[in-house]
Amino acid sequence: MSAPVSIYEPFRAGLPPLGSYLRSLQARRSFIAEFSRSELREQNYGSVFGQLWLVLNPLLLSGVYFLLIYIIGGHSDSTRYGHLTASLFLFYLISNSLSGGVKSITAGQRLILNTAFPRVMLPISAAVVALFKFVPTLLVFFVMRTALGLPYSWQMFWAIPVILIALLMGLGMAILISCINVYFRDIASFLPYMTRSLLYLSPILYQASDVSEKIKTLEVVNPLFYLLDAWSQVMVYAQAPDLYSIAHAFIWALSIFLIGAYFFLSRERDFAVRL
Amino acid sequence: MGLTYTTSIDKRPTLKARLKALGRGKKHTRVVRALNEINLDVNYGTVLGVIGSNGAGKSSLMRVISGIVPPSQGRIEVYGSVSTLLALGVGFNPSMTGRANVYLGGLAAGMSRAEIDEQFDAIADFSELGDAIDAPMRTYSSGMYARLAFSVAATVQPDILIVDEALSTGDAHFKEKSLNRIKELRTADRALILVSHAMATIEDVCNEVAWLHKGKLMARGNPTEVIQQYREFIQVGKSAAANEDV
Repeated sequence: MSAPVSIYEPFRAGLPPLGSYLRSLQARRSFIAEFSRSELREQNYGSVFGQLWLVLNPLLLSGVYFLLIYIIGGHSDSTRYGHLTASLFLFYLISNSLSGGVKSITAGQRLILNTAFPRVMLPISAAVVALFKFVPTLLVFFVMRTALGLPYSWQMFWAIPVILIALLMGLGMAILISCINVYFRDIASFLPYMTRSLLYLSPILYQASDVSEKIKTLEVVNPLFYLLDAWSQVMVYAQAPDLYSIAHAFIWALSIFLIGAYFFLSRERDFAVRL
Repeated sequence: MGLTYTTSIDKRPTLKARLKALGRGKKHTRVVRALNEINLDVNYGTVLGVIGSNGAGKSSLMRVISGIVPPSQGRIEVYGSVSTLLALGVGFNPSMTGRANVYLGGLAAGMSRAEIDEQFDAIADFSELGDAIDAPMRTYSSGMYARLAFSVAATVQPDILIVDEALSTGDAHFKEKSLNRIKELRTADRALILVSHAMATIEDVCNEVAWLHKGKLMARGNPTEVIQQYREFIQVGKSAAANEDV
């Protein structure tokens, strides 16, 4: 008989067979896409503008900062405005991955208790939703930076690796925090304060060059600091980022992803009895 | 095979509850022995009914067989693709239309998009929802919701189908239709495991019955005999309530 054989044995903390796990994940990619789309639609369900909010949100956000910098602050520095909005949009990619990921397992209780599937699909969907929200902000930003007269150059292609690193970091954080939330539900309540702290500790409201060397040394422990600095260099100044910034961000992103994935995959068979 | 697990006593374990309980020697977890030394083999062509009182371990057994929860002792070998119908509407999003949820539910059950495209008309016809298929599921009655959910789940054609209490769906007409659908799925190249409290259904559909009580396998064999033993054990007799899904 050519029927697939599945063997289920007592759970021991450790990775499941990765080959079959990844094949199963690959087979469910349509579900991840459909599930993410439905989550996104649900968030704007019943609103007048519906999915248009994906573009309206970044537009209104940049409008608020325009008011703050140009009208109230009286500045006319277009790079400052460009830096703030570009950095904020990338920051939201990470923070939306975190806020969507944190309850992805606990909210998926019905699915987890009634269907066998790779559980990591749920935080992956949260990261995909964050990506869906990020793409329109990128389009808004390009229109905005053209209107502001910011320079263009080939160096801007560095944006691709920076976005990939940000996606890896967002995905790793979503996977890690969703797993922590199964065992320690308070993490969801701590999360807004954690993301707010990250917002202020990262070069968004100020530029990395404004920070003293001493503080910069301490910022090594902030996974977002050099990522956002590299992003600003590329998107606002159209310059190649420091290789140190790229390396720092990549090492952080990879570490968070690997730690998160190991922690998640080694525990996920235990989730059904913890929910 | 056995299943013992430690679960949190609190529904939502929080730091506050932990801090309040500090130094009081209060337990946060309890050990649940859901299944104990179960030895069961189900061959292709078998329709196995699983009966037992509430808390007997029927749903736990289904979850262990389908790989949702790993066993604590022993080993389970499953030869073939498994589809579970443990609850209706798994993966559905009430904000979406019935049509979108057919795709969502089908993909959650392991079908491919092409398979759902192919089966869509059959699913819609079986659910008898008519034009309501394009309305958001938020607007459905519980019967309509359950009908669509059953229609999606019953379309999956696995080697092994596990159905837990899913036949008490909708009105009497739809219940009969669901039961007939389950009967259609009884083939020599498929194994079916059916959990139900409806003894008449179990006796009608199954060719073998396993009776569980407090996580132990009490009896297994001919449906009429095992059901009779179970009835004597719980002293219910052949009442109408025990025959039907209620």
